[in-house]
Amino acid sequence: MLAWGRTMLTMVTASAIFLRWIPEHGPLVLPLFAVSAAAAAAIYFTQRVRYRRGVRGITAGQLAPDIAAVLWTASSCVVLGALGLWVVLA
Amino acid sequence: MTVPANPPDPSPGPAPDPGPALDPDPVRRSRIAERLLPGGAEPDPRFTLANERTFLAWIRTSLALLAGGIAVEAFTSDVFLEPVRRGLSVLLLLLGMVLSAGAAVRWLRVEGSLRTNRPLPLPLIAPLLAAGCAVAAAVVIAVVVLA
Repeated sequence: MLAWGRTMLTMVTASAIFLRWIPEHGPLVLPLFAVSAAAAAAIYFTQRVRYRRGVRGITAGQLAPDIAAVLWTASSCVVLGALGLWVVLA
Repeated sequence: MTVPANPPDPSPGPAPDPGPALDPDPVRRSRIAERLLPGGAEPDPRFTLANERTFLAWIRTSLALLAGGIAVEAFTSDVFLEPVRRGLSVLLLLLGMVLSAGAAVRWLRVEGSLRTNRPLPLPLIAPLLAAGCAVAAAVVIAVVVLA
C-alpha cells in the first residue's frame, strides 16, 4: 500500500520535471505529462480497492497476483521513456 | 441485589459487514494471470506482496532514471556540450525503459518460481543498472576532466 503510494508520488514528481521541459521543447512535452499524471491518478484511485483486496487475501491465506496493475505500471514507464526519447531526438 | 432491566444480549449479534459488493475476490485469478502464470499454487500472500513491493522499488528506480535523463537535457546546457548532453539523456532514458520492462519480467519469473516452489531467479537487471550507471558516471568524469 505504502509502496504504491511512494510510486504514485514519484510519478507526480516526474510529471512536474516533465513540465520543466516546456520552455525548451514546447507542447511536445504534454503527452509525457499526461501519461505520468494519468498513471499517478490511476494508482491513487485504485488504492482503496487494492488495500481491501490485500487485507482479504492475507485473512484468507491466499492472494492472486495483481498482474494487470504490474503490467500497466511497467508499460506506462516504457511509454514515458519512449516519449522522452522522441522529445530528445526530435 | 437488583437485576438490570435490560441484561446484555448473549447472542453474537448481526454478522459483520462483508463489505461492498464490488469488493474484489482476493483468490480468483484473472484470465491474463492464468495465461502468464500457469500451473502451481498460490504462494503465501506475504511473498506475493513482497514481490510486488520489490517490483515497485524497481519502477521507482526506473522513474528516477527517466527524470534524470530529462533533467540532464533540460538543466545542463551550460555544463555539457550538446552531443554529450543528448547522449547522457538518451542513455538514462534507455536505461529507465529497459529497467521498467525488466522489472515486470522479473516479477513474472519470481511469481512463477514461488508458485512452483522453484529457486528464485537471479536479478539480471541489477548488473544492468550497475553497468549503465557506471557508463554514465564515466562519461561525466571524462567530460569534466577533459574540459
